[in-house]
Amino acid sequence: MIEALWVNLDYAASVVLFLIGLYAVIAKDNLIKKFMGLNIMETAIFAFIVALGVVDGGDAPIMGEGARAPFTNPIPQALILTGIVVAVSTTALALSLIIRIYRQCGTIEADELREME
Amino acid sequence: MVSWPHWIIVAIIMPMAGAVLTPIVSRKNDKAAPVWALFIMSLTSLAALFLIVRVAQEGPFSYLVGGWARPYGIELHFDEFSASIGIICLIGWLALLFSYHYVAESIPKPRIPYYYTLVLLNLTGMIGFVMTGDLFNLYVFMEILSLSAYALVAVSGERVAEMAAFKYLVMGAVSSLIILFSIGLLYAVTGSLNMADISTRLAGIESRLPVMLALAGMAMALMVKAAIFPLHIWLPDAHAIAPSPVSAILSGLVVKTGVFGLLRVYQIFYGAGTYELAGLNTTLIWLGAISIIMGAFFAIFQEDIKMMLAYSTISNVGYIVMGLGLASQYGIIGATVHIFNHALIKATLFLGAGALMYKTGYRTLTDLRGVGKAMPLTSMAMSIGAISIVGIPPTAGFLCKWYIALGAFQAGQPAFGFALVFGALFIFIYYIRMVNSFYFQPPTHPEILEVGEAPVSMLFPVLLLAALCLVMGILGRIPLSFIEPAVTRMLGG
Repeated sequence: MIEALWVNLDYAASVVLFLIGLYAVIAKDNLIKKFMGLNIMETAIFAFIVALGVVDGGDAPIMGEGARAPFTNPIPQALILTGIVVAVSTTALALSLIIRIYRQCGTIEADELREME
Repeated sequence: MVSWPHWIIVAIIMPMAGAVLTPIVSRKNDKAAPVWALFIMSLTSLAALFLIVRVAQEGPFSYLVGGWARPYGIELHFDEFSASIGIICLIGWLALLFSYHYVAESIPKPRIPYYYTLVLLNLTGMIGFVMTGDLFNLYVFMEILSLSAYALVAVSGERVAEMAAFKYLVMGAVSSLIILFSIGLLYAVTGSLNMADISTRLAGIESRLPVMLALAGMAMALMVKAAIFPLHIWLPDAHAIAPSPVSAILSGLVVKTGVFGLLRVYQIFYGAGTYELAGLNTTLIWLGAISIIMGAFFAIFQEDIKMMLAYSTISNVGYIVMGLGLASQYGIIGATVHIFNHALIKATLFLGAGALMYKTGYRTLTDLRGVGKAMPLTSMAMSIGAISIVGIPPTAGFLCKWYIALGAFQAGQPAFGFALVFGALFIFIYYIRMVNSFYFQPPTHPEILEVGEAPVSMLFPVLLLAALCLVMGILGRIPLSFIEPAVTRMLGG
């Protein structure tokens, strides 16, 4: 069990990171902290998927002079590049929503907002 | 004309380019934005029409983006299920037409072009979502439609709109992440992102645990998007607070993308053939049945007409998910046709409610008493919608619910057929309340009798949709027999 964890340390780390983020999303009242939790979850998933493509001692898969196998799988990295773009847009949208909530209600604490509703 | 291979990519690029260009087109003249959006949507609908005719003639076909052979490139795959692009274009077009007057009053003028940008982007996301054959592409289109949907909920500027949008965003973003994680897992075990290719490769996979984890993650996250009962908490506020044409799109179409995603996941796993799906099926049946009852139960206590319609969406998605979970021929046919019919019905009801709110300024059933005499056409259309959603023949809602009930018997689970009928009774109660307050109660506000019908741009979509609710009840065989070969192929592996 411990050995399996040690071999897959990178996956285990992403799971821990994901749970930290999930905790923040659920337990924190401040909307910005909630959203930071979401960003941590995003990072965990991104790290997990990039780690999928890593090959021990792998080289960057660029063809030409001096290219030698084994190569790292570039597809997960390309996917996560797209994923990061999506995450940035989500963050921008969420922050602008938080600003408008603050302007209207004067607070960004979820418990106080619930009382106002 | 019909067999030109590039219509499928036109149907995605057209609304996407149109969305980005909207603020530029309407820079000088802010009246131009709605006209432009309608023009773009008309061209997209034309492409959609050609695609649907082609799939009816030839059966499923594929398009390789950029000419890269599958599984390396992105494949767009158009099968009978993708024909839901037709309902997306129809509801999208009518909602844009409806927005013309509605939005001019409820949104500050400088922001109006951006509203149309968001609606077009949302439709782009859905059109791409139903046509793609690539799992990661599916995620990207899902994010396009989700992000624009979060922004559209906040657009009305009502007091709690941003709060509702934020709640929707957090739930939606977490579920999107879980989908991305599941896609990563499937990629890790199969080494492919093409859905058909994954399906073939999954059959020979030795280690089942990561595959089952990916299946569970996808199913759960898509259930959040589809607002199945315990995961529905974001839906009522978001759908009730959004401007009415947006509510029609969100409730009629966006929620269905979750169900549609489940359908795609099922296609992958049925195709692989060697996976035990009984656990997931049972979960879906039970959650579907609970959603039907709980959605209807909450709806009974709603005073706000749009809140009531939003809860009604939860119970109707319950029907669809139950039909999918039954995994019998009739059940799945009923579920897929209910995706289509419920979009028609719910768009009728939400646009009708929008017209009532636009003219009277009230949104609770008590305040709206007597509106049936003031706005006879809109109220009639909404009554037709109400009858359809309960499932009284000969309206659109009847056939698909009948098929789902038949599916329950076919799958050997007759108890759920009765749950369905019981749910329909609940639904009947709260729609009767609506019809009752429109026609048979003395008005709370006497001045409500003075208001006339809404402008033609709002009345026409409502009436057309109501007419379609009736027509689809009478011509119900057409979608049923259209979807049948796809379902047979899916179940047959």
